[in-house]
Amino acid sequence: MSAEDTASGSTRIPREKIAVVPTLRDLALVSVLGWALQLLATDISALAAVGGMAGLYLICAGGIVLTRFAPFYLPSIAWISLLGIAATLPFTPWGSAVTALVADIDFLALSVPALAYAGLALTEREIDVVKKSGWKLLLIAVFVLASTYIGSAVVADIVLRITG
Amino acid sequence: MRAPGSVLDMWRLHVAVLVVAVVAQLIDVREIPIGPAAILLLPLLYAFLLSVLINPHVVRAASKFIRKREVKAASPMIVIAIMPFIAKFGTTIGPSFEELIEAGPALLLQEIGNLATVAFAFPLAIWAFKLHREAIGATFSVAREPNLAIIVDRYGLKSPEGTGVMVVYVVGTLFGTLIFSVLASLMASLGIFTPEALAMACGVGSGSMLAACSGALSGMWPGMEDTVVALAGASNLLTYATGLYVSLFVALPVVEWLYKKARPGEASAARKES
Repeated sequence: MSAEDTASGSTRIPREKIAVVPTLRDLALVSVLGWALQLLATDISALAAVGGMAGLYLICAGGIVLTRFAPFYLPSIAWISLLGIAATLPFTPWGSAVTALVADIDFLALSVPALAYAGLALTEREIDVVKKSGWKLLLIAVFVLASTYIGSAVVADIVLRITG
Repeated sequence: MRAPGSVLDMWRLHVAVLVVAVVAQLIDVREIPIGPAAILLLPLLYAFLLSVLINPHVVRAASKFIRKREVKAASPMIVIAIMPFIAKFGTTIGPSFEELIEAGPALLLQEIGNLATVAFAFPLAIWAFKLHREAIGATFSVAREPNLAIIVDRYGLKSPEGTGVMVVYVVGTLFGTLIFSVLASLMASLGIFTPEALAMACGVGSGSMLAACSGALSGMWPGMEDTVVALAGASNLLTYATGLYVSLFVALPVVEWLYKKARPGEASAARKES
């Protein structure tokens, strides 16, 4: 079963082992794309952008390897985010160096290629869902944001009143 | 079936993404101001729209360049393309680790409030709007990038759950500042909540939502601007640090479980189909 089949299942998915080498190769390609966009989005030098993207590549690569070989399952993005945190903890010997390396990489520009692939990956099925229930999802979206905000405010208010 | 072929095999896909992404980045961030808030247009939105326009399933003529096999190969690339973003996201949390530990119980506990969407939006989606599995993606979280990545990893973006999270993500990105500034003003004018609590709640979403929300509160309580901004900022940092794990390990399993209870017949039918 390929990654494609795994991704399109709609019920609980049997865990597939991530294919390390092809994923690392595709990640390298995406990183080069990301590097080009950094040059457009920020004022950093081409070399600094190489350093920053290389740092992020290594964090991702570590996460991919952990996803494949760790004794328990976490999604690759959870591993990558954990490694990103571990790599920049200020009290570690490496923390400040890694932080400085990736600091100037622009957040928003990094998400652009993912959304471009997403637009190209759509098929009739997804378009049908939007056509059929798009307006409902729009209303739900407003409700999601509102209930999250109000819920947080209520909990914060109660805790503040209890703890003074 | 082999998923993505070799890099060269799929050159059309990657070239299309490069061109789309460069154009999107060149257009840059645009803001359409509406009163104190604004509709925010970001490069990632143009990238999505432009690539939808060259998707052969949407525009027939596009099939000359992008064929069905490129569309197929694009799907697994989404998770990989979001990885550097998630890595960068982790590296912004690490340096503030100590501040987060010192943040205090109110800030930490208000993260639980983020689950309110599961309690309120999910039933609405299921029973009032009669949505199906797209309700899972739409209502399990506030649909920022980490949550989007969770759904993509788990179900794929090409799934009902993926469509749900994507719509909320796009609405949040486009209208988030507008919605949050209106919400914050409304809640503040109710007079029930303390400014501190409302400020902490400002941190539940993205950076631009945070700015709009704390801006609106600062307008209501001009003397408290510093407190509002500090609390909102700390809360936002915490949301980004814990949000991914809370929505992965708590919210999503809960929503999945609720869905099975709400639509008992459906789970088995869907499994048969796939």
